[in-house]
Formats: sequence, structure tokens, C-alpha cells
Amino acid sequence: MDKQVIISVGREFGSGGHEIAQKLSEIYKLPLYDHNLLDEMVEKTNLSNQELRALDETKRSKLFSRTVRGLNNSATHNVALLQFDFLKKKADSGESFVVVGRCSETILKDNPGLISIFILGDKEAKIKRVMEIYGLSRVEAQAAMCEKDRRRKQYHNSYCPGKWGDSRNYELSVNSSKLGVDECVKVICRYIDARIAGM
Amino acid sequence: MLAQILAVIIFLSMFILIVTEIWERHIVTLGCGLLTLLLVFGLGMRSVDAAIETLNIKSIFTTSFWYAAGEAAESSSGINWATIIFIAGMMIMVEGMARVGFFRWLCMKIAKMVHYRVIPIFVTFMILSAFLAMFIDSITVILFLAAVTIELSQLLKFNPIPMILSEVFCANLGGSATMCGDPPNIIIGTSLGYSFGDFITNTGVLAGISLVAVLVYFFLAFRKELQRSAENVGDTSSFPDPKEAITDMRGFVISTVIFLCAVVMLVTHAQTGLTVAFIGTFIAAVTLITSGRNALSLIKRVDYKTLLFFIGLFVVVGGLEQTGILNVIASFIGTISGGNIMLMIAIIIWISAVASAFIDNIPFAATMIPVIKSLAATQGVDLSILAWTLAIGTDIGGSATPIGASANVVGIATAAKEGYIIKWGKYCKVMAPATIIVVALSMVMIYVRYF
Repeated sequence: MDKQVIISVGREFGSGGHEIAQKLSEIYKLPLYDHNLLDEMVEKTNLSNQELRALDETKRSKLFSRTVRGLNNSATHNVALLQFDFLKKKADSGESFVVVGRCSETILKDNPGLISIFILGDKEAKIKRVMEIYGLSRVEAQAAMCEKDRRRKQYHNSYCPGKWGDSRNYELSVNSSKLGVDECVKVICRYIDARIAGM
Repeated sequence: MLAQILAVIIFLSMFILIVTEIWERHIVTLGCGLLTLLLVFGLGMRSVDAAIETLNIKSIFTTSFWYAAGEAAESSSGINWATIIFIAGMMIMVEGMARVGFFRWLCMKIAKMVHYRVIPIFVTFMILSAFLAMFIDSITVILFLAAVTIELSQLLKFNPIPMILSEVFCANLGGSATMCGDPPNIIIGTSLGYSFGDFITNTGVLAGISLVAVLVYFFLAFRKELQRSAENVGDTSSFPDPKEAITDMRGFVISTVIFLCAVVMLVTHAQTGLTVAFIGTFIAAVTLITSGRNALSLIKRVDYKTLLFFIGLFVVVGGLEQTGILNVIASFIGTISGGNIMLMIAIIIWISAVASAFIDNIPFAATMIPVIKSLAATQGVDLSILAWTLAIGTDIGGSATPIGASANVVGIATAAKEGYIIKWGKYCKVMAPATIIVVALSMVMIYVRYF
């Protein structure tokens, strides 16, 4: 690909957003950055991969953190900033990639190659998918879904002026429950192709 | 009664809002200050005089505000303009010093003087941190010291976290040594009429002895990591020359002279009669005049939010004082200590330390000054002993947790930018015991010296 393309995929838990991002990375032959971003970052920090993952996409506790002249002591906050910095450096270097979550639609919005997508889903369809993939009961799946989405929303909204999942923050918002993952990928690819052609 | 209830509600709301960071803290204190004026003084007390006394503006236009022939105390009630003017002046001076590369030069020069050996850097940077924090705000000290520590750690291949934590602790400790080292001390000094000399011969001695203990403690706590790094010196010829840090040689010389003048003026202010408000204004004026076309950028870089935070805070605390709430707290401390002065000292130092470990020590100290004043008056205790106890408790207690003091937050965030994440557990494991040791040691020293 001669033009720089950065595909940012935001997603609701259970919507298949991650799978869609994986398929897009395969189709466009682009590296995928999700929690594996932390694997690359682990060499540049003093924390283990496990410790970094515990701090990934989590909102900082206001009770246990304090801001002084724009600087904050929260480990969660500082790991988030390191990830944002890492993504910005990748984008500034001209690299094309697919990135899942991590406020990327806002962090990289000034990059002309950014295409931002949000994947949502119907509640029932998401519960079913979570039950199948993670082998959970209906109650467990529903609880996991609520918890994950709550954390993602809090994390996103604490760093971005726009709200998580608000269609105004993304170029394309797609409900994966209506078409299924594969058809969604086709629709999104048509959009991405049109965007690339117009770049 | 209504005024007292309103004053307490506003005060507690202010603390909660500061902690939650929903709005910036200066907006919180200014908003709460405005509510104090309207609700406490207007609705509750119906007293214009109380409001005027709290705003305290006329004090600026008195001779004693600028020049005090004898010992003169700013009224502890209301806005302490001397503190605000002094801090603003020092901010301008520090910005001037930072602009010309003074702090980076000093750090690099010391590292070079000890031949870039890790353990001597560790020891000298701790001492440097404490020394600079005696005269300059700890945020600036740590911003520069931590940045240079990280730079050296990359050159010398050592883990900078032990060094940054030690520097943070020493910055807080150094701040406790002088009247101008930490905002609580400036407020205590100007409110109760103590001089730089009073502080250095009391809290300064406590801080000096504690520094020796802390040097030993941190060396023992980090000895394995330090000894591992001790051999990593290698070829230092390619290391940056300290002179490269200086961006403007003429400005550098002028800034150094101004800084030395500030130190001399502060050390001798009891003898010269010049107040801290005068010193702050003079230092700022000289810095701005000698900065030429950079003067405007220096003014723009002043942390005006902190100054506004102080103004609002003083009004809210003034509300508590005018309504007599702080006298109630003072008599409560007097009652539970049963008139036992040593117990009173223990209560003040430990409550101050624990409170400062979790909440901003500036509002705490501002609140406690009228309390210790009242305690001294009603219990017959020497006010100065209570003042040194309060200063040490609030200044040192802040080191215990990552959120206890501004220097801690700045040190942690500066390290994090380079990938060195310091979590609560890692921080408290080393810093909380150090805090307990210093507070306990200080308490014992207060007992031995004053009783």
C-alpha cells in the first residue's frame, strides 16, 4: 500500500469488533495493534507484560491519583499515555496499521490516513456470542459484557472529548448483529477502498 | 450556628472536590471562597467586617507588610497576601533560572564532579535535592533532577527509580528546613511572625539530622540495585558537557546572582526587616528587568492557578476561623490531650503527617494555624513548638504516598514518561517507612530539645 492507512476499530464487547479488525488486517496486509501493543512496549518499561495488561484500557482512580501541572501519578494513566505516544510515533513514522480501541480515533485524528470505525451489536446477539466464545452462562456473559463496556467507556471518556460509541466520533458505525461478521467486513472494506481511492 | 454549619459544609465540599478533580483545584477554592463570602459572612453572620477582614486587602497598603522593624505577624485570618506575593516572586525567579538552563547545568556539573559514578551521584543528588528545595519549590527541583537522573540512567545503564524516589523524599525534607521551602512553612511563618532564621534553627536542624538518617536508609533500601549499577561507568568522554545546558551565558550569570541575592535576603530578613512580600516583589522585579524581551514569557509561565488556589483557600479557611469552628477543634485537641503537652505534640505531628499523606498539605496547614494559635493561648503551650511540629508533620507526611505531595506526583510522572512506572505498592514500600522513621525521629528530637 503506497498511501498511509490507519484503520481504527472501536467496539462493544461481544460485537465481534476484534474479529473484524483481525480480518481487516489480513485483507489489507497490515499489522494489528490491540493488547499486543503492550508486548512491544514491555521492553521499554519496567513492568511485566502481566502488570501492563492489568493496567490496559482502564480508567484511573481519582481517589488514588493526583494531577500537578498536568502530570499525574496514576500507573493506569501513565500506561495509557505511553500507548498513545507509541501509536502516535507509529503513525508519524508513516506506518500503516489496524488498531483496536485505545482511543485511537481521537489520538490519531490529525493523521490524514485515519479511517475510524465503531462496531456495535444487539444485546441478545452479543450475549450469545460471548457465551459461545468464552464458554460462559447467560448471566456470566451479561455481567462480563456490562463490566467490559463500562470499563471501556470510562477509559475512553476520561481521555477523549467525544463519548465512546457516539457515532459522531467515527466515520462509520456498524451493527454487526444484522449482517454478521463476514458481511460487515465486506461492507467496511468497500468503505475503506472508497476512502483510500479518495486520499 | 447557621454560619458554622455552612462554613463546615463549604470546607468539606472543597476538600472532596479537590480530591475528585472534577474541576481544577483553583476553580474549586475560588468557588468555595465566593460561597464563603456570600453564605457564611453574608447569610450566616451578616457581617461585612468579617468579609473585609478575611479579604485582608488593606494589609497590603501598610508599611509593616513590606518592612517590619521588629517581629511582625501577618494576620492569620483571611487571605495571606504575603505568602501569595512571595510565591509569585519566587516563581518568576525560578522560571528565569530554568530558561537559561541553570538547573540542568547544576545537575550535570555535579554528576561530572563525581565522575559519573552511580553511588556518589545517588548521594549528591539527594543532598542537592534537599538543598535546592530549601529555597525553590519542590516541583521545579524534581522536574529537573528527575529528568537529568533519567538521562544519566540511560547513559550509565542503571534503574532510575531508586534515585528518583530518594530525590523526591529529600525535596520534601529539604522543603521543611526553611520558611520558604514548602508552602505550609511560608504560611506558618508569615501568619505567626517567624523568620527564616527561626525556621532554619528549628525545623532546619530537625531536617538536617533527618537527612543523615534518610541517606543511610535509602542507601540500605536500594543497596543491591545501586551496587549492581556501580560498575557501569565506561567511557564518559561522550557524555554531555554541563556547559551545553546553558542556553544564555549572560542570563545564566544574572540568574545565579539573583538567586544568591534571594538566599542572602531570606537568610537576613529578620535583621534587615524586609518582609517576604518585599523579597518576593524585589526578586521578581529584578528578574523581569534583567530578562528584557523574555520578561513577558516569564510572566506567562507563572503558575497563576496555584496563586488563585491560595486566594480561594484562605477565604474558605477564614470562614472556619471567623465562625469559631477552629477554636472548637483546638479545644477538642486540648481536651483529649488532657493538657499534656507531649501528647499534644504527638497528636499534632502524627495527624498532620497522616492527613498530609492523603490530602493536600496546604489547606491542612492553613486550617491548623489558627488551631495551634488557639491551643497555645488556651493551654499555655509555647506556640513556636507547635508551629515546628505542624511544619514537620505536614511537610514530611506528604512523602508517604504518591499523592501526598506535588513533588511525588511530578517525580512519578517524569519517570513514567520514559517507561518507568511507579505503582502505589512500589512507592509506599520504600517511602512510607522512610516517612514514619523521619516523623518519629523528629518527634523524639522535639521532645529532647524543647522539654
